[in-house]
Amino acid sequence: MKRLLLLLLCLLVQPAWAIDFSADERALIESFGPWPPPMQPDPSNRVSGRAEAIAFGRALFFEQRLGGDGKQSCADCHLPAKAWSDGKPGTGGLLRNTPSLLDIRWNRWFGWDGAQDTLWAQSLRPLLDPVEMNSSLAAIAGLLRKDATLACGYRQAFGTAPEADDERVAVNAAKALAAFQETLISAPTPFDGFRTAMAANQPVPAEFSAEAQRGLKLFVGEGQCAVCHFGPGFTNREFHDIGIPYAVRPGLVDPGRHLGIRRLRDSHYTLLGPFSDDPARSTGTETRHVDLLHRNWGEFRVPSLRNLAHTAPYMHNGSLATLRDAVRHYSELNEERLHADGEKLLRPLNLSDTQIDALVAFLLSLSAALPDFPEAEPVCRVKP
Amino acid sequence: MRLGFIGLALTGLTLTGLGLTSLVLAGPARAADMPIFDAHLHYSHDAWNVVPPAEAVKILRQAGLRKAMVSSSDDEGTQKLHALAPDLVLPVLRPYRKRSDISTWMRDDSVIDYLQQRLARYRYVGIGEFHIYGADADLPVVRRMVQLAKQYKLYLHLHGDAEAVQRVLVQDQQARILWAHSGFDQPDKVSAMLDKHPALWADLAFRNDQASVDAAGKGKVAPAWRDVFMRHADRFLVGTDTFAPERWYYVIEHAKYSRAWLADLPSDVADKIGWQNGERLFAKMLEAD
Repeated sequence: MKRLLLLLLCLLVQPAWAIDFSADERALIESFGPWPPPMQPDPSNRVSGRAEAIAFGRALFFEQRLGGDGKQSCADCHLPAKAWSDGKPGTGGLLRNTPSLLDIRWNRWFGWDGAQDTLWAQSLRPLLDPVEMNSSLAAIAGLLRKDATLACGYRQAFGTAPEADDERVAVNAAKALAAFQETLISAPTPFDGFRTAMAANQPVPAEFSAEAQRGLKLFVGEGQCAVCHFGPGFTNREFHDIGIPYAVRPGLVDPGRHLGIRRLRDSHYTLLGPFSDDPARSTGTETRHVDLLHRNWGEFRVPSLRNLAHTAPYMHNGSLATLRDAVRHYSELNEERLHADGEKLLRPLNLSDTQIDALVAFLLSLSAALPDFPEAEPVCRVKP
Repeated sequence: MRLGFIGLALTGLTLTGLGLTSLVLAGPARAADMPIFDAHLHYSHDAWNVVPPAEAVKILRQAGLRKAMVSSSDDEGTQKLHALAPDLVLPVLRPYRKRSDISTWMRDDSVIDYLQQRLARYRYVGIGEFHIYGADADLPVVRRMVQLAKQYKLYLHLHGDAEAVQRVLVQDQQARILWAHSGFDQPDKVSAMLDKHPALWADLAFRNDQASVDAAGKGKVAPAWRDVFMRHADRFLVGTDTFAPERWYYVIEHAKYSRAWLADLPSDVADKIGWQNGERLFAKMLEAD
C-alpha cells in the first residue's frame, strides 16, 4: 500500500512534459546552463571588473567625440534598445552585420572573423577603422588629455593622468570600454527556467511552451544543432562555413576567418603582445597555436543563440531577415556550396512547417526581455 | 582598412604575376616567384555571376599560374574559361551537370550520353573531378566512364578512397589517375599507393597537413610528408579546389601558400610538385594531335 501511495504521489508531481527526453538528451540540456556562467576577470586587462573602469568605459561608449568626425560613438551602432546591435543587415567595408554586445565577455574570439582575441583589442579596432569610426591613436589620446571630465575618469580608472604615449592611452581607453561591455549580460530566459525545473524534476514553467519543448527535442536530436551550439552560451566559440554566400559585391568577397587569422597574426594588440596585462600569457595558448587553413576561407564565428529575438537580421552579413529564414536555411541547405570533405555534419534537415515552427519557438525561448538602460551618473563631476 | 588590406594584397600579387615571365625565362625560378600548375579548379554554374569569366581568368594570371586544370558542373563553365584563355586553361570534363550530381551520378545512365556528347565536341585532358568510394567504383556508369577515358586517352581525376582507385585500376590496368586530395589519406598510405601504382598521381588540394606556413610566410613541410615528397617527387601536384564561387578569390592566396611551403623542399622537388609535374603530364596533351 505504501508503494502504491508513493507511486501515486510521484505521478501527481510529475512535470507536464509535452514530450519525453532521453537520459542523454537531459544531460545535454543540463549542459546548457546555468545562466549566467561564473564571471572571471580578463587577466589581459588589469581594469577588468573594476567599478571605476566600468564607469569610465560606459562614458566612453556613449562619447561621440571619440569618432574621427567628432560625431560618432560606439552606441551609434550598438544600440541598447536593440540588444546593443543596430538591426541593419551589414555595415563597414565588408558589409558585416553588427553583432550584439550582450554576453560578449564569454567570446573566445571577437568579430565575425575572430581577428581579435580580447575584448579590449576588439574595442580599439572600430575606433581606428577608416570605414567605421575613423579615429586615430593621437586623436583618442588627445581627447582624453584635453577633456577634464574624461581625464578625470581616466585617472580614476587607471590611477594616473593620461600619459604622453598616445598608444598607451588609446589602449587603456579600449580596456575601459571592454570593462564596461563585460557588464552587458543578458537575463535568464524561459529556457533557463525550464532547464532548472527539469533538473529539479519540477513542473515545466508555463512560459516554456509545448512547442518550444518540441523544438528543443529537435535541437538536441535530429537537427544536431547542439554539435556547434552548445554550453550555456549555445556556441562552440569557433568558426564554420554553413553555406551562406560571402561575396560582398562584384570583385570583393569576405574571406571571413582566413582574413581574421591573418589580421590576428599581424596585430600586436593580442594576448601575446606587449599590451596584455597578463605577464604569464595564461590565456594565450590558442592564439599562439592558431593555424591558417584552407577551410578558414569563408568561415565565420558561430554566434551565441541567446537574445536572438532582439538581434535580427541574422548571419555574418545579416542576409537572413527572420529566425524562420535562419531555420529554413538549415532545412534547405545548399550542399553544393559545401566541400564534400569539409563540413560533414551539415546536410539539409528537410523540416516540415510544424518542425520549423517548433525550432523557432525554442530559439525564441532563449531570449529574455531587455532591461531598461538608464542614463549613468557623470563619470566625474569636474568644476568648470 | 579592410578594403585597403585586400586591395594591397591583390596589387602585390599582380606585380608578382607580371614579374614571373622574365624570371622563368632567365633561369630557375626562385621559390617566391615559382610558377604554379593548379590541378584542381572548378568553375560551376553558380560561379559565373560571382566571378565572371574574364575576372576568373584575371585571377588565374594574377596568381602566377602557369596552367590551370578546370572542370565544372556543367561543362559550360570550363569551356567559357578555355575560350578566353586557351594558353592557360586545361579543360577537364566533369560527369556532373550540376554540382548536386555528386552523390547520384554513378547511378545515372544519362551521364554517359552527356560525356560522349561533350567528348565528341571538345578536347580535354581528363575526366573528373568525380566522387566515388569503395565498391561504387564498379557500378556500370563508372565502368563505362573509365572506358571512355581509355578511348580518349584521358586522365581520371578521382575523388575517393584507395579502394575506389584500385577498383578502377582493375578495370583498366593502363588507366592514369590523378587522385584528388591524395584521398585525404595518411602520408604512409598515399606513399604505399604510389609505390604500388605507377600510373597514379596525387593532388594536394584542400589539405593542410602536409605543411604549415607561419605568420612571416615561412613554410615547413611535415616530417612524415617530407619523406613521401622526396620519394615521389614526380607524382604530386598542388590545387586550390574552388568548390564554392567565392573561393576563386582564394586562388591567389593559395598560390602564395603553395610557394611558401614548397620552398622548404629542395628546389628541384619543389619545382616538380609546384608546376613541372603538371606541365609534363598535361600541358602537351591538347597539342598532341
